[in-house]
Amino acid sequence: MRLLRSKRVPLDMLRPLLPDSEWERVRAYPVQDMGLGTDAFGTRRELLGFAYALGYWLHRSYFRVVSSGHEHIPSSGGGVVVGNHSGVLPFDGMMVGADVFRYTEPPRLVRYMVDYFVYQLPFVGAFFRGVGQMPGTRRNFDGLVEEGHLVGIFPEGAEALGKLSERAYELYPFTHGHVELAARHGVPVVPFGLVGAEEQQTMVRDLQPLARALRLPYFPITTTFPWLGPLGLLPRPSRYFIRYGAPLRIDPGALHSIDVRRREVERVRDAVAELIREAQATRRQYAGGSR
Amino acid sequence: MSRTGKFSPVELASHAGDDAGTPRAGRRRVFLAGARRRVAVHLIERLLADPDVEAVLAVDRGACPPTLMGCDPERFVFAPADLSRRRQVDNLFLLDRFRGKPFDTVLHLAFQGNPHGYNFKSHEFNVNAAQHLLEASLRHGVTKYVFLSSDAVYKLGPRNDYKVREDAELNLDPSAHPILRDTLDAEFICRAKMDDPTCEVMVIRPSGVFGGGVISGINLLFESNPPVLPVGFDPMVNPTTKERLSRDLMLAISLHGKGVFNVAGATIGPLSRFFEERGIKPIRVPGPALKLANRLQRGLGMTRYHAAFHPKRLYYSLVLDDAKFERVFRANAEPVMGIERGGDEVE
Repeated sequence: MRLLRSKRVPLDMLRPLLPDSEWERVRAYPVQDMGLGTDAFGTRRELLGFAYALGYWLHRSYFRVVSSGHEHIPSSGGGVVVGNHSGVLPFDGMMVGADVFRYTEPPRLVRYMVDYFVYQLPFVGAFFRGVGQMPGTRRNFDGLVEEGHLVGIFPEGAEALGKLSERAYELYPFTHGHVELAARHGVPVVPFGLVGAEEQQTMVRDLQPLARALRLPYFPITTTFPWLGPLGLLPRPSRYFIRYGAPLRIDPGALHSIDVRRREVERVRDAVAELIREAQATRRQYAGGSR
Repeated sequence: MSRTGKFSPVELASHAGDDAGTPRAGRRRVFLAGARRRVAVHLIERLLADPDVEAVLAVDRGACPPTLMGCDPERFVFAPADLSRRRQVDNLFLLDRFRGKPFDTVLHLAFQGNPHGYNFKSHEFNVNAAQHLLEASLRHGVTKYVFLSSDAVYKLGPRNDYKVREDAELNLDPSAHPILRDTLDAEFICRAKMDDPTCEVMVIRPSGVFGGGVISGINLLFESNPPVLPVGFDPMVNPTTKERLSRDLMLAISLHGKGVFNVAGATIGPLSRFFEERGIKPIRVPGPALKLANRLQRGLGMTRYHAAFHPKRLYYSLVLDDAKFERVFRANAEPVMGIERGGDEVE
C-alpha cells in the first residue's frame, strides 16, 4: 500500500527484489543529485533500482543471458555502445543495459538514445527518463558523453524492431550519427552483437498504415499479437547471447569527409555483423553442449 | 571560431562581448519599465540598497506600488506612463531631473504576459512598448538595455534537449498563443539591435518564477487549489525565484555583456518533486481532459493558471541551461555584489 500511496518509493523497499551483491551495485551507482533526488537527466535511483530488479530477473532467469567480452567496456569515461536491434519490443536494449550494469566494475549504466515517440506516451516516457534513457538528440548525446556516461545507440533505428522474421539477423543500414558524435568527442565505439531477440517474437507483418496513423515506427502482426491481446506482445523465453567487441577508435576525418564517415560506419557495421556471427557460433556450441 | 573567421551558431550564441563580465564604470542611472511587477519591486529595493546606483526612474501604468512609497525621493522617482505611446516614452527620457544626467541603463519588464484579459490592446502595448523603448534608449545614449523575455519562447516537445541552450529551436508555430508571438516579436526587435556599438542589448529568458504574487505560469499553477496535471507525465523543470531573478538582473545591470541569456534556478527536478517539497497534492486527469478541467477551475476561481497558453508545458521537460549567464555574470559577481559591499552573498 505504501508503494501505491507515495510517488517516492523508498529505495529500501526494493531490497527484497535483489540479492545483496546486486543491491550494493544499485546503491553504488553515482546519481549526481541536482537538489530533488534526480540528476540533470532525470535519473531517479529508486526507479533505476526497480528497473534493474526487473532486468536482473529477466537477465538471469527468463532470457538466461550468456555474454562475453565485458573487458572491452570502458570502466570510466564516455563511450558509445552500438549493436543490432530486433524483437518487436526492445528487450534487447534492456538486457544489454542489465548485462553491462551487472558485469562492469564500478557498475555502468548504458543510457540509450531513445526514439521520440516514447516520450509522447504517458507513464512510459516518464519511466524511461527516470531510468536514465534520453530522447535521441545531439545535445543529449553531448551532455551524456561530456559527463562521462556510456551512451547506447541502435543505429538501425526503431524500425529494426519491426523487422520481419524472414529477415532475421539481417542488419538494416546504419545511420551515421553515432560515428560523427564519437569522432567529435574522441570516445570509443564499443560494438556488440546480440543473438536471441529475433526468436522472442515471430513478426509476420508490419501494418504501416496503422503505424502511421498511431505515429508509431511500426505496428506488429506476430503469431501471437494482436490475437492474444497485449499478452501477445510478451516475448518467448529464448536464450540471449551477447558478445562485446574491442573498442573502435573513430577516425577524426569522419567530421570533415562524408567518405571517411561512410567508411567508419561500415567498419562499425562489419564489427557488429562479425560479433553476431560469433554469438551465433556460441549459441550453436551451447545447444550442442546441452544436448 | 570557424576557419572563415566567422562565429558558428553555437559560438555566436555564447559570444557576449569582449569585455563581458567586467564591471561597468560609473554609477548607474536606471530606467525601469514595468515597475508594478513583483520582480521589479524586489529589484528596485535591491537597486536602492546599492550605493553605486545613483537614481532609479520606475515607470508603469497606474499608481506607484505601496511598497515603494517610502523609497528615498532623492534617488527614486515613479512616473505613470503609457509606453505604447512613442511621445510619452520620449518625454520620460527628457524629464528635468534626468536631462543633465541621462540614464545609462534601461530595463524593460513591462510586458503584458498574463493570458487573462489579453486583447488587441495588449498586443499593441507589448510590441510598441518594446520598439519605442529600445529606439528611445539608443537615441538617448543608453549603454545597457535589458529585456526580460520568457522561457515560453522555446519549442517544446518530446525531442527536447535535457538542457535547453540559448540557440535552441524557438516556437514559431503560427498557432501559438498571441502573447508568445508578442514575446518573440519583442525579442526580435532587440536582436536586430544587438550589434549596436554603443549599447549592450541583452535579452534574458528566465525559467518559471516562484514568488508571492508573481504572475508566472509555474507560480500560478502552484497557487492553484488544487493544481491539475496530466496523468502519466512529469516534466523536468528548474524554476527560479523572484529573489534570484532580481539578483541576476542586478548582475546584468552591473556587468558588461550582451546577447541572449537563459537564467534559471539551481535546482533541477521533476515537477512532481517540487509539489512534494511544498506539500501540495496535485490532481491528475487524462491529458485530453486537462484543458476542460483548467477552464472549469478558472470559472470557479480555483486557479489563475492558463493551460492553453503553453499547452505542452505540463507534458515535456524544459530545463534551461544557464551556463552562459553563470560564466559571464554569476562567476564575476564578487566585485559588484560581494559581502564587503553590503550586497548579497554569491551563491
